[in-house]
Amino acid sequence: MPDPAKKTIELRILRYQPGVDAAPSFGTFEVAGAENMSVLEALQTIKDTLDGSLSFRWSCRMAVCGSCGMMINGEPKLACSTFLRDLPPGPVTVEPLNNFPIERDLVISVGGFVKKIESIYPYIMPKEPKTVEQGPYRQTPAQLAAYESFSDCINCMLCYAACPQFGENPDFIGPGAMALLQRYNGDSRDAGRQKRLDTIHGENGVWSCTAVGICSEVCPKSVDPANAVNQNKTNSAFDFFLRFLRKE
Amino acid sequence: MNESRPYRRPAPKDWWAKAPYRAYTVREMSGLAVAGYGAVLFAGLYSLSQGPESWAAYVRFLQSPVSLLLHAALLAAVLYHVKTWFQILPKTMPKLILGRAPVAQRTITRVATIFAGACSLALVLITLGVAR
Repeated sequence: MPDPAKKTIELRILRYQPGVDAAPSFGTFEVAGAENMSVLEALQTIKDTLDGSLSFRWSCRMAVCGSCGMMINGEPKLACSTFLRDLPPGPVTVEPLNNFPIERDLVISVGGFVKKIESIYPYIMPKEPKTVEQGPYRQTPAQLAAYESFSDCINCMLCYAACPQFGENPDFIGPGAMALLQRYNGDSRDAGRQKRLDTIHGENGVWSCTAVGICSEVCPKSVDPANAVNQNKTNSAFDFFLRFLRKE
Repeated sequence: MNESRPYRRPAPKDWWAKAPYRAYTVREMSGLAVAGYGAVLFAGLYSLSQGPESWAAYVRFLQSPVSLLLHAALLAAVLYHVKTWFQILPKTMPKLILGRAPVAQRTITRVATIFAGACSLALVLITLGVAR
């Protein structure tokens, strides 16, 4: 019986070197003893022993930092929490996240995403700031439950790679930023709801979403960004009709 | 020196026909069946306004094999649409907090589906009662 620890697995990796390659193309690597490796470990083995020029992002190796998102056999996944033994036999295809410009190999441009995160005021804006002497902003467990899952987002962008509407319209604010928006708008200590709603009207706001819903299915943290986007369609619509009644 | 020359891969135009997006496409297309049902009902209303002969012709059409086949297909599509509609219902509403924790989305879907089923059944029973 062959030793499973010595099993060799083939990885097909989309390579792109800016300034050298006109377009990305696949490179093939055989990784020995890969049976119990995560895809990230396999990539690190390739970089250490086969091709030092292979570029990819990673940091924590335990699905917390959100750096190693990539397309594995066509699905957006974290390379660190995807194990080769769980994938169907045969070559494993690894590509950079869909819908993003490729910087180099598996590294994508994240600038657009960071701008979107910045645009939704990603911090608590209290109605009346308290001094330290006045004590903390208190919250009940029910108030925490209203937004808690949205605060679990690790900015891995798998949801963007899964979103066909983001593919069609790169300016669409997208699922991840909307989850963060809802994290703050749903927080009882926050009073910045109106400012955030003003950023999500129109085609580049929530209205590019057609409730495809795959963003929530690929989320490694069960954040359910589809819920964040779709409940804000209602909020955006109400805001549109009620804006004349509002007292500024 | 900035060496960044990002490469933008062309997005496939047929994403809607491929897994996992196919289920979404079928779900959205099943909405056309609801419009189809509406069109059949409007046709009935229109023929009613056109007099007894027109109404009789409409009833004859309803009894035809083509119409029965059409209705079977429409019913199947509408039932699928109802099922998927309630599946995404919890995605479109704020989290429902009971006590200290959010109600599971599965529970929301189940309760809403049962409620809608009960309403439909009541409507059928009332209609049958009135018709008797």
